[in-house]
Amino acid sequence: MIYGMNEELQIKLQALLDGELPEAEAAAMINLIARDAEAAALHAELKNTRQALAKFERPLNVPEAREFYWSKIEREIERAEPRAEPAPRRHALFSFWRRAFAVAGGFAALAAALFIVTTPGKHPIGGAEMEVAMADVTSFTYRNYESGATLVWLSYPAENDVATGQPTTTIQ
Amino acid sequence: MSKSANYSSVDDDKLVREAQSGEMDAFEELVFRHRDKIYARCVTMLRSEDTALDLSQETWIKAWQRLKQFQGDSSFSTWATRIAINVCLDQLRKNKRQQAESIEALAEDSGGVERQMPVVTANPTERLERGELRQKIDSALDKLSAEHRTVLVLREFEEMEYEEIAKTAGCSIGTVMSRLFYARRRMAGLLADLKTAE
Repeated sequence: MIYGMNEELQIKLQALLDGELPEAEAAAMINLIARDAEAAALHAELKNTRQALAKFERPLNVPEAREFYWSKIEREIERAEPRAEPAPRRHALFSFWRRAFAVAGGFAALAAALFIVTTPGKHPIGGAEMEVAMADVTSFTYRNYESGATLVWLSYPAENDVATGQPTTTIQ
Repeated sequence: MSKSANYSSVDDDKLVREAQSGEMDAFEELVFRHRDKIYARCVTMLRSEDTALDLSQETWIKAWQRLKQFQGDSSFSTWATRIAINVCLDQLRKNKRQQAESIEALAEDSGGVERQMPVVTANPTERLERGELRQKIDSALDKLSAEHRTVLVLREFEEMEYEEIAKTAGCSIGTVMSRLFYARRRMAGLLADLKTAE
């Protein structure tokens, strides 16, 4: 019987068996086993159980044919796989400068267009039209019907919503 | 000759590399080689052959999805078994949420019954025939609570250290030690045909 052993000692006996006890404590437990029949008996029981479990796990085979077993796995894998590869992400720094240049270029084009429109004498404002994509200032169109001139500034490739059909505003 | 047939003589490491590059036939060969072990682990943990079959297949689906994370720190078989264990633990947690803990499990957690059980002196490996012992071990595992069976399986069959068991099972090392102690004592009693908390 092991009524006399406290739980801590029992757990330490087990830890000794599993090689999880620090060296000093392991030595103390080995001493205990040597002088205490109850500790020795419990240690032996734990050891026997451990040996039985380690060597005699019931072997089991999948109760299905290889092809049948695999077919479900394959089907689920194919279902879970994304259909298209995601678009490769541009380098963040490169993307930032690209956008910055596009926006700066857009403003430059806007300034040029305004300059042409507002210059007295040479280019009267009447009959001129300017179209700006408001979603992202990367597309401008300036038309002067009198002189037949059209100026278009585009960021290429398009990164704004114009290409996806977002509304644009026309200034006349 | 089909690709699958060609793969039959290729070692696991090469199959893993092929599978990591998207070669499904290589992965199928890995599944074929290790499916019995994965299935057996699921059966041991869940005690239901039907659920184990489904979860063993779920394990392989997850293994494919995580294959690029496999660095070869352990064998492919060990890595796949760890996935199976996690899949089974998730299932056990779901089961636990669906049903209240049994009184039996609570008694085991308190440890009162096993602490007072007489020490079993007979060695089951000497006393029983191989087949009989396997059968007895299997029946005895049925009688343990999921928590006790889990630590026993992780320690005895997977040879995990206490810390790894604690991490895997989501409990403290103290709880692992305690559960393992009572699980072993109960197993000893069951293998010796002692009537313990039945």
